[in-house]
Amino acid sequence: MAQVPVQTIHRDPQLFYWILIPITLVMILTGVLRHYATVLMASAPKKFDLPTIREQRSLMRGINLRANANAVSPSSFQVRKDYLVNAFENGAFLKEPDKKGQGAPNPMTDPAAMEGMMGMMKGNMAMIVPQTLIMGWINAFFSGFVIIKLPFPLTIKFKSMLQAGVATRDMDPQWMSSISWYVLCIFGLQSVFNYLLGSDNAASQMAQQMGSMGPGAGAQMFGPGVDPDKQFQGEAENISVLAHHYTLEGVENRLLESVRV
Amino acid sequence: MEGSPTKEGPTSVASAKSSVPSSSLSFRNMHRVFTASRTALKSFSSYADLIRSSPPPSSSFYAMTSSLLHPPAHLPPTVALQLSQQAPILLQSTPSSISPYSLSSLWSAAESPELWMTYENLMLSCLRTGDEESAHLCLERLTARFGAENERLMALRGLFQEAISDDDAALKQVLEEYEAILKKDSSNIPVTKRRIALLKSLKKTPEAITALNQFLDSSPTDAEAWAELADLYASQGMYQQSIFGLEEVLLITPYAWNIHARLGEILYMAAISGEAGAEKYLAESLRRFCRSIELCDDYLRGYYGLKLTTGRLLTGVPQASRQAKSDSVLAAPDSKTVERLNETATAKLTEIVRLSTRGDAAWGGYDKAELIAAKALLDTDTVKTTR
Repeated sequence: MAQVPVQTIHRDPQLFYWILIPITLVMILTGVLRHYATVLMASAPKKFDLPTIREQRSLMRGINLRANANAVSPSSFQVRKDYLVNAFENGAFLKEPDKKGQGAPNPMTDPAAMEGMMGMMKGNMAMIVPQTLIMGWINAFFSGFVIIKLPFPLTIKFKSMLQAGVATRDMDPQWMSSISWYVLCIFGLQSVFNYLLGSDNAASQMAQQMGSMGPGAGAQMFGPGVDPDKQFQGEAENISVLAHHYTLEGVENRLLESVRV
Repeated sequence: MEGSPTKEGPTSVASAKSSVPSSSLSFRNMHRVFTASRTALKSFSSYADLIRSSPPPSSSFYAMTSSLLHPPAHLPPTVALQLSQQAPILLQSTPSSISPYSLSSLWSAAESPELWMTYENLMLSCLRTGDEESAHLCLERLTARFGAENERLMALRGLFQEAISDDDAALKQVLEEYEAILKKDSSNIPVTKRRIALLKSLKKTPEAITALNQFLDSSPTDAEAWAELADLYASQGMYQQSIFGLEEVLLITPYAWNIHARLGEILYMAAISGEAGAEKYLAESLRRFCRSIELCDDYLRGYYGLKLTTGRLLTGVPQASRQAKSDSVLAAPDSKTVERLNETATAKLTEIVRLSTRGDAAWGGYDKAELIAAKALLDTDTVKTTR
């Protein structure tokens, strides 16, 4: 079988200086800029007023009691159980006791919830706007250039990935177009940003995407659109059906068995 | 510093167990384990308390470098002194201001939480040793970074002012400042805690208890506050309430062996104070100590309490009255078990005292005062048996 002749394309070396380096540089600078923009735009962590703190922590207290009830004696547990179940069912810890039983407020009309959404929006905007601008800029100035040849062979499937914007059917997939270099930069500069800005920077999209996928458990628990009364009712039920096993029962025998002098 | 007899409660346990820690001490031990609540714990130990209740100097158990990242409250005085002597050098070597937005942060090392923790701990150490200038410098740098409106910094500034005030009048002024802050923003938790600590060091215990109860109503998951409340109640001889508070702590941190032991101590104090149901208290106290040893091998306080409770069960109470048990409470174990427990505790205490006074490397880290108290207990025991 005849050897496939190696494709050679004569490129102007200026391509390297005027396309490859500018794109890389601009990408890095945008990342740094985005980091600082996010830091500046970040709204301070939301401060809760006292009734809200009381509501949340009282619920936590119920959860703690349920999880760790075995540490206290049966009588102590009974006292706490009676008190908490009663208080939870009556809504004694609610932030707005008169709104009990009305269901969760609509998150769209709740100003506090809107604020949280605005924060999310800001984060997304800081990512989308520069992304769009730079994509447009590269399209306008550098589309259609083949800039480098990768030093390793690739299969034909990579053509669409590496040669975006260059519609040449027979060109070897090793050749890479400027737009593909841009896309590669988006995903490949993570470690550069880590080096420049520290590991918890806001420049990488990866972290942002992860963040938007799985919001923290705390946000789900006390987030907008959750009816605290429902949570209290559920917790009251959990506590009232709890079986109590006292840890101190037989501890002296356990100790005598385990301790060797 | 004046002695604080009120702290230990009026019972004879306190005098027998010279090593019974004041509340803040046991608190701090817990703290060593549960660093998560770091911020909270510090806020309660006022300057005066720091000096009054700091443990005696121990060996070079604490390495110099790491101690600045630890909460300073449980540092022995010698180490605190060492730290604060290094303060001027340390303050010079670190950059005077770090802004999160400056361009230079691109190539200089990134600021780390450790740096600010170091500043905070350095400030507390300096206040302990009276180096107010360095403390003020630390405070200023923290303020430059986080702003004067930061809640934690408001509390730190209050602490600084408490430390430099010489008399009660000045302290009262600080108290008024706290109240002014709280009137504006009642959800400022660090300042709320400082106010309670200040009330406590001004010896206004009833007010402190009221304030703590108010605070715990809105923040019932604060283990530190519950423990502090339990301690204040114990100092007033209100053991029932104190026990309740410690049980709440256990519901939040069920594996804190020092809290188990502390609860055992309070139960024992309740038992010998002649309250109704001494039987029940003593049995539970014994089991609490057992549990604390189960959670932490060779726990000196646990064995000490175990020996004390078993000794009392063996000698003091006639067998007959022990039979009258209520249905919901575990009765005391039978006398044979109690005897075996007593023997175990005695043997273990002897071993711990022997090995750690000999200076065995693996047996360091025990509190000297606690060792002395354990030794004294063992000595009284031998005197009794020889007679």
